[in-house]
Amino acid sequence: MARDYDHLFKLLIIGDSGVGKSSLLLRFADNTFSGNYITTIGVDFKIRTILLNGERVKLQIWDTAGQERFRTITSTYYRGTHGVIVVYDVSSGESFANVKRWLHEIEQNCDVVNRILVGNKDDMPDRKVVLTEDAQRFASQMGIQLFETSAKDNKNVEEMFNAITQQVLLTKKEQKEQASNLNDTITVGKGRKPTKKSKCC
Amino acid sequence: MSTAGGGMESLIANLQAQLPSGHRIVTISFSLKHTFYYKRASHFELYSLTNFFKHWKQVLYRTDEFTLERTIPLDTEFKCEIDTASANVVTTDVFLKLSRKKVHLLFEMLPGFKANKFVDEVVKATEVANKKRAPPNFSWLEVYNPQLVWESGSDSEPVTSTATETDSSSHNCHDAIPTHLNQKADSELSSPDVTAHRSSIATGGATPIAARESVVRYQMALRETAYTDLRQISIFLGTYNVNGQPPTSGLADWLSVDKDPPDIYAVGFQELDLSKEAFLFNETPREDEWLRAVIRGLHPKGKYRKVKLVRLVGMMLIVFINEKHWAYVRSVASEFVGTGLMGKMGNKGGVAIRFDLHNSSLCFVNSHLAAHTEEVERRNQDYLDICNRLVFSTTFPTKSIKDHDQVFWIGDLNYRLSGDLDLLRVKELLDQSNYQALLQYDQFRAQHAARKIFIGYQEGPIQFRPSYKYDPGTDNWDTSEKNRAPAWCDRCLWKGDNVQVKDYRSHPGLRMSDHKPVSCFLDCGVKIIDTVRYRKIYEEVMKKLDKLENEFLPQVSVDSTEINFGTVSFNEGATKVLTVANTGQVPVQYEFIKKHRDSKYCKPWLTCEPYTGFLMPGDNSYITLEVLVDKRTAWSLNSGLDELYDILVLHLDGGKDIFITVSGQYQKSCFGCSIEALIQMHQPISQVAPGTVCQYEKGAYPSVDPGNDSDSKQPVLAVPKELWFILDELYRRGMDTPGLFEQPGLSSEIAAIRRTLDDSLPDTLPGSVHSVAESLLIFLETLKEPIIPFGMTQKALDGCAAFASCKSVYTSLPLSHQHVFKHIISFLKEVLLHSSKNGLDAKTLVALFGSAMIRLPPPNYPLGSSNSLSLNQPHLDRKRTTFIHHFLVNDLDD
Repeated sequence: MARDYDHLFKLLIIGDSGVGKSSLLLRFADNTFSGNYITTIGVDFKIRTILLNGERVKLQIWDTAGQERFRTITSTYYRGTHGVIVVYDVSSGESFANVKRWLHEIEQNCDVVNRILVGNKDDMPDRKVVLTEDAQRFASQMGIQLFETSAKDNKNVEEMFNAITQQVLLTKKEQKEQASNLNDTITVGKGRKPTKKSKCC
Repeated sequence: MSTAGGGMESLIANLQAQLPSGHRIVTISFSLKHTFYYKRASHFELYSLTNFFKHWKQVLYRTDEFTLERTIPLDTEFKCEIDTASANVVTTDVFLKLSRKKVHLLFEMLPGFKANKFVDEVVKATEVANKKRAPPNFSWLEVYNPQLVWESGSDSEPVTSTATETDSSSHNCHDAIPTHLNQKADSELSSPDVTAHRSSIATGGATPIAARESVVRYQMALRETAYTDLRQISIFLGTYNVNGQPPTSGLADWLSVDKDPPDIYAVGFQELDLSKEAFLFNETPREDEWLRAVIRGLHPKGKYRKVKLVRLVGMMLIVFINEKHWAYVRSVASEFVGTGLMGKMGNKGGVAIRFDLHNSSLCFVNSHLAAHTEEVERRNQDYLDICNRLVFSTTFPTKSIKDHDQVFWIGDLNYRLSGDLDLLRVKELLDQSNYQALLQYDQFRAQHAARKIFIGYQEGPIQFRPSYKYDPGTDNWDTSEKNRAPAWCDRCLWKGDNVQVKDYRSHPGLRMSDHKPVSCFLDCGVKIIDTVRYRKIYEEVMKKLDKLENEFLPQVSVDSTEINFGTVSFNEGATKVLTVANTGQVPVQYEFIKKHRDSKYCKPWLTCEPYTGFLMPGDNSYITLEVLVDKRTAWSLNSGLDELYDILVLHLDGGKDIFITVSGQYQKSCFGCSIEALIQMHQPISQVAPGTVCQYEKGAYPSVDPGNDSDSKQPVLAVPKELWFILDELYRRGMDTPGLFEQPGLSSEIAAIRRTLDDSLPDTLPGSVHSVAESLLIFLETLKEPIIPFGMTQKALDGCAAFASCKSVYTSLPLSHQHVFKHIISFLKEVLLHSSKNGLDAKTLVALFGSAMIRLPPPNYPLGSSNSLSLNQPHLDRKRTTFIHHFLVNDLDD
């Protein structure tokens, strides 16, 4: 299969209902934003290919329903995920307080996975209740990178997705290094090409 | 090949016949393919296969290049996986894992056409193997395992299945065998397991835009000017027919006469070696001699690296590039085409080298076309043959000469001055250096102007003496017997944009041959990628395609994601319709899938019809959801272990999942409760708080020891009041009714009786006697634990022969069950007293009540260490009947 990418990663966006998970995905994949709130009832994905250090990385980004009642179901979608984006709403203290639960959810359902913390809706300073310093302190404690984004104003969205992808790529390369000596490989098509002598017959 | 069967066989037989004796075609996929194509019997597929074999034949000739390491049958044990997204791998390579039993092979392949074909063939063959019902017999293959032994006397090494298949893929380049990637996806559609779908998506297997990579390449090519700049590089083209002579003098007077060193040298020779050995075996010491002479003659101010050397008999082409450009050279390839004797041999023809420099593709051709003045048409034909037949097969995709940005064509093209010109006149014009007058007779110019050859090619102005023919060692025109007329045989041409000729000349100082070397110095604009602009445009193209790919994901909308059934009563089904509309651009396969760890896609009280389906864009599907709480599920809802609440996952194959919430309020009923709970309810169940019902149900049967329930805090009823009401009604109204228990009741009346019992403490029950009688049986059947509890079923059935053992079962029943049992037995005895009126006999009655009172535990019932009950139905019925019957003929109080 000829591929148009060098890496394929699955990313997952989680967080409380209404923090803007779908909006982040829509902004990143389609570069669009809609002010109308449509709650996600299910699990959807979009793809986007980015260039990172000259490598083509195809991202399959899964957007999950944030409502509490779906939590046990959505947790089954964590399988095979390379990176998880945990989103809260900077104008909702509760959504930030719940981040710990979401991180716990990741621990329960994933072995090794890269995580990133995202404070979305960072576009209305007077409504902001989760202070950057608090979020930063928390993120540092947990050893996660923090991004404050706005899907509406297209602020930091690209940067955030690039950052998580970069992390995932790095992890993959580290794992590859560790595993490099484990497999005996037979090389086809790379070795000596058959030398043609003559086409006469 | 028009028929499916015989043609195929003869093809295989033909192949077999062409092998040396003692060699057999060893192929994994032959027999399998065979059946496969039989089955499909499609003309197109057969055609593809024929081509496949044709190429195979070629491969079989070149036996020395392959050795057999092992053979693996492609049977049902054989597994083939593509590991494109292996988490541990950071390369662009494709990893193919082949395994059968204990043999595991990992193939690392560069993604590309060959790898594609290889995988394609293996997958196809595997699929066929798996489709076969009986495991194919590979005993014939055992001969070749584990170590292949070939018959002595065969000097060539074996050709094998694995090796052949690998290589066959490379020779199949032009065949239109369709890829069968979609088949793989199809086979996954039927799988009800959620993870299978997802993993296929995650590995990119479900990409709807099949040829995305080629689309990207095409789009990028269209916008090339937007991200490339031109940089001038200088090229030296040199051609020399050396007439079989060794290099006796230096070549600097030909190769380094320019002030500045060229960036690229393309140096072509003809008639390098005229010996038979060179002609027949394509071997000559001259190759090395001339190569070294050229290297010595390169411009002293430049440092060069050899890009490639290619030679066919006497035609040799060497390309050098200035070291500073070396890093930007990619995809170097060379090819040759013989057009000599029989149209094939290498005494005439062309050799070519191609490579990419930055973002430009360059091709250099050196040719030696047919000789003699009158052979213009032969020369034309040779040229056309080279154009048609020369294909660089090692590039992906394969390229021919015309598929390059710039083509530089040099060589002894052998076009002469037309024969009607008098030789004396020629020499006269030459003495006057009147080349323009002579060039009007140049065959090449005439043929070129007639657009018969070299269409689109250009040539620099000729301001030098003809390069042919001289007396070797001199600058004198040919004085031999043949007395050939002078001609511009040796030429340098080019095709493509951004080429400017700087100088076009011959080099008369080199006198080894009867030709003079000719050279052309030119500038060529090479496209250099501006990485910043490239990246920007590449991202734009990718974005466009991503958008397309996202748009082509399956999309549906449902009319509701919350389906509420309102109040639901026992045994009364309710239905709702869910509309699924395909709002996307592609057909959708949808299916309700299991959630994590669940055994079914929905709760047992719910059914969806259909639960899977296929929708074309714009079409709707109507799914009927039915909620029915019956005896299997009533207790779990009464006890609060379950509730009328479920989340269905509607999965689109290769796409998203939609959650559909189904809910309702279950009206708790005395049907489907346990005796223990019912005797605690003094009120009708609808007037007991739901939580209390749950509490009673969960607290029922802490143990099955009799007499323990005396600890209860509040006084309990001797038997469930509902049972009492029913029995009372039957005592009063039913004893003499003919057909009692044998005639069925009406379901509407049975529902009314149930509601009456659930809502009140009635004096009388509605409905006919038959409805009341059936209600009694239903009531007993739906008890959470039958009167003889599941834990004691075995004991009761085993001891049914003797009343004493039956009685000991009775005495070990929980007290409440004892009471109920006793009540039922007295009732049955009473019924039998009226048998003259109601027509019932003991046998019928006992059979009816036996199945209601002694039931086999449900499959998942925890029976502890006791062995599972396995009885056939008549056997079971007989034992139940015997058990009950004892109590009708014996007195319990004895």
